[in-house]
Amino acid sequence: MDRNQITKWLKAPAKMANKYSLHAIYFCTGCGIIEVPPVITARWDAERFGIIPVATPRQANLFLITGYVSVKTLKAIIRTYEQMLEPKYTVGFGSCPINGGMYWDSYNTIKHLDKYIPIDGWIAGCMPRPEAIFIAVTHLWTLIEKGMANGYVRYKENYEFYRKNQEMALGKLDWPALYQINSDSKAVEYE
Amino acid sequence: MNESIKEQLESTFKAVVVNILEDSRIVVDVKKEQVLTVLKFLKDRNFDHLALVSCVDWIEEKEFELVYILTGYMQGEKEYTGQERLHLIVKTRISRQSPQFETVTGIFQNAEPYEREIHELFGVKFEGHKRLTPLFLERDYEIPPFRKDFDTRQYVQDVFDKIPFVENNDK
Repeated sequence: MDRNQITKWLKAPAKMANKYSLHAIYFCTGCGIIEVPPVITARWDAERFGIIPVATPRQANLFLITGYVSVKTLKAIIRTYEQMLEPKYTVGFGSCPINGGMYWDSYNTIKHLDKYIPIDGWIAGCMPRPEAIFIAVTHLWTLIEKGMANGYVRYKENYEFYRKNQEMALGKLDWPALYQINSDSKAVEYE
Repeated sequence: MNESIKEQLESTFKAVVVNILEDSRIVVDVKKEQVLTVLKFLKDRNFDHLALVSCVDWIEEKEFELVYILTGYMQGEKEYTGQERLHLIVKTRISRQSPQFETVTGIFQNAEPYEREIHELFGVKFEGHKRLTPLFLERDYEIPPFRKDFDTRQYVQDVFDKIPFVENNDK
């Protein structure tokens, strides 16, 4: 352990523990997933950074979206994101989730993933090198330390609007709302 | 091998145009009434694997072109070597105004998903197909999205760009 971090550990042990044990679920969409096997295995060894891949979203708190997001994939992404444990962090990997990338005028590809779920960080590039994942992770550490990686809090606060956007893209959603939607609770009060 | 298939096709069917490309590919242009019999004829001559059914939108000629790609694995009694494998491309044109065609699932059963795909993305209706249900698409499109007159840019502006950002991006 780094000696000059001892004060940080004593001040906020939970935050530091979160920071150094990210359990990643790699969502295998698009071409970015090809960069992930070398990252998690011996060549680049993501465990140096405390990242370990897990099998299911219910064990994970880091979500890497590695490629273009089609309408069908978006449905799976939202369901995965909603199952993950808090505090959860999302990183969009590659230029396609950012603004559509080379699929910017496709009939079936979602541009701007942050309209549908909150994103804590982006890795730009087509494709980013595996090292870019580690740069993103170290940035994410700083954000966690400063309390700025608060996508899951923003999701809770703005859930009504996120859900509305999701319904605009996907039609009627066939799963219940994760959080109580404020406008509904108001309607109940007025009755 | 190439020449014998060409001779057999040209002697059996009228109005069949056979072109031999360089790399062991044969292109057979047939009329749409002949497709089923030509495919049956070729299946009996060891072209027993339908690799792909594809569709091309020739919007200026107001026609769809259906493409059937056939290969054969076993050439008679001989043992299979990849060297002598032939690719046979059967092409036909159908009208674009009323895109209807007969299914080939009676001859090649594995044409079923390909025909469903073409039905969904090009709007070609295959008569006799037992399961022309949606395959890939999640959204409803007025014009099937792989047709040339489907304006993807306009569609993106009308649908995906109209969805607002949740949070202020300037922050």
